[in-house]
Amino acid sequence: MDRAETLTANPFARALRSWFLPFDYPLSPATPLPLRHRLALGTQVLIGRLSAWLYAPVVTLIMRLVMRYRFRDLRQVRRRFAQIRADHPGPLLICPNHLTMVDSAIVAWALAPTRRYLTDYAALPWNVPEQTNFANPFLRVFCYLAKCLPIRRGGSRQSQQAVMAKCAEVMRRGEPVLVFPEGRRSRRGGVDTEAMADGVGRLIKAVPGCKVLCVYLRGDGQDAYSALPRRGERFYVDLSLIEPSATGQGIRATRELTTAVLEELLRMEELYRVHRQRRG
Amino acid sequence: MDQQQAFHEVVGILTPYAKNKAALESVGPNTNILKDLQVNSARLVDIILGIEDRFEIEVADEEADEVVTVGDAVKLILAKKH
Repeated sequence: MDRAETLTANPFARALRSWFLPFDYPLSPATPLPLRHRLALGTQVLIGRLSAWLYAPVVTLIMRLVMRYRFRDLRQVRRRFAQIRADHPGPLLICPNHLTMVDSAIVAWALAPTRRYLTDYAALPWNVPEQTNFANPFLRVFCYLAKCLPIRRGGSRQSQQAVMAKCAEVMRRGEPVLVFPEGRRSRRGGVDTEAMADGVGRLIKAVPGCKVLCVYLRGDGQDAYSALPRRGERFYVDLSLIEPSATGQGIRATRELTTAVLEELLRMEELYRVHRQRRG
Repeated sequence: MDQQQAFHEVVGILTPYAKNKAALESVGPNTNILKDLQVNSARLVDIILGIEDRFEIEVADEEADEVVTVGDAVKLILAKKH
């Protein structure tokens, strides 16, 4: 029984929840988030905003000085992202390809300097990591502070949709959310269209005006998936802003939208291969 | 379209995605698609799309969320067809 189901089974929790919830489970990205959850998100933002001054510089220093990660054309990437946000300050879903466990941190660092996130905390993307990766209590605390909304990949649809509902809420407020459309690190060494995270399609449908920033991220030495990029890695980053649309209805439209995002990432991967060949 | 027919068709659609083939042998209306048949949750949408195509129905996202057991899928199909 997962935690959501445990709460439902507890009569006291049910009664308490009913004071705040205009409706009972299930939550979904298409429906407004109940007050209780909005307050919880607000609390997470407040605590995260204050603690970011401690953890964000440390994480950046580890990536820069310990792991010695670098980017190709970083200024250009950041300028482009700043322009994208200036042109479209509305709901933004960031969808990178997925090869390592720290992709979301590297993408966030590539898109803007850390100092930007300290002064404009709303600009730091929320992300949706796999819950089982945070069994360690220290990691769980860090996850909370770093704008993570953990999701259980094999968990119930209800619990997954509750996380998607929170993502939709913050997107409506104009805060970006980072979700990997492949759902997990690719086992194929390239963009994997077999393992789709249809939550991407649900979010695009649920949030009016949503645009998708596809991010192709690849280290020079990243031939396959790994826990971390190798030390001293140099990253290629490419950005593409799209506004996918669907002709179908219901769940078919959800699938169309997710497929559109993955196909854009595939196209960007082809560009990367050409770029790589030219570099020699 | 009766319940038995729908049930067999749904099992047919689920079969390629079920990792627990032993559970398929004793599948019933209360068989949990994710937990008992060990279907990858990422494949649930494929299953629902298969049901849409086979039965010529349209399933909304929220309706798909309600499909937890094989019986839920059958109920959804019968509700859509009648």
